[in-house]
Amino acid sequence: MDGGRKAEPRFCLFFPSLFMESAMQTYRTGFAHPLDELRDEFDRLWGNLVAAPPLHGWGSQPSTTAFPAVNVRETDDAIVVEAEVPGLDAGGVDIAVTGDELVLKGSRPEPQGPTTEPTGGKGNGERKPAVTWHRRERGTGTFERRITLPVAVDAARVEARLTDGVLTVTCPKAPEAQPHKVQVRSA
Amino acid sequence: MTPTITKTEERAGAAPAQAETTLTYQPNVDICDCGPEVLIVADIPGARTDGIDVSFEDGVLSLHAKVPARELPGRAIRQEYGIGDYRRSFRLGDDFDASQITATYRHGVLTIHVPRLAAVRPRKVEVRAG
Repeated sequence: MDGGRKAEPRFCLFFPSLFMESAMQTYRTGFAHPLDELRDEFDRLWGNLVAAPPLHGWGSQPSTTAFPAVNVRETDDAIVVEAEVPGLDAGGVDIAVTGDELVLKGSRPEPQGPTTEPTGGKGNGERKPAVTWHRRERGTGTFERRITLPVAVDAARVEARLTDGVLTVTCPKAPEAQPHKVQVRSA
Repeated sequence: MTPTITKTEERAGAAPAQAETTLTYQPNVDICDCGPEVLIVADIPGARTDGIDVSFEDGVLSLHAKVPARELPGRAIRQEYGIGDYRRSFRLGDDFDASQITATYRHGVLTIHVPRLAAVRPRKVEVRAG
């Protein structure tokens, strides 16, 4: 079904037909009310009509949400923060915890260019191959995200794991933030 | 109006055992045309190598990546992204060599190299003084 759909006309106007997309747009982030989505869609369409071409060309979808997007869960004894950081390896993300604040810092590398560089002599008018970016939707550059946790956590025992671009930071709650069961004595 | 919506919902396959609704997401991509090949880089965090399916048919490159459900304990207190399979397709044209398409997956990023057929690659013609 994906392949048979026609691309939208607005891509035809500003884009080589080569890269007309055939699937409906579905973006990863944002959990908006359907009416909000409709409004956003109108905003976007209107923006496309009146705006000057964006830096990376028409078709690029600037991310409106902070990077990285996080999901936070709370258990009895820990706060678990999960973040999607595709393209980063374990050394590429810097995690700092103080009190009830978690800071994720790092840098997303520029996309690697084509590997099939034409081989040839160096210098002497040898030009780089013409590279055309048709889509630049993945963000690049440095990021810093501060997440305020609902309770203070024990910074010394925070653990982080990175698997397939998904970072999971487990922050055990500080002892004073953990629920303390009070014994009721009968008088 | 063309139904360009920001989020679409698809039932997860025809597997009756999988009763819960699974959302399918469109990954962010970079697409680069460098002449001899087209490079597609897609962010598909959470996918595993064995769950990624890339196919090229009738000039359309399709990618589908299964994302295994992640069991996280406790209750959600902030939810900024959803977890589900990735699916996106691109109409590239017919002048590509389907047998030479290669894809690599690393740290949640899928990189697909789609080389053009040798016959249609741009060729520099040497001009000699006569």
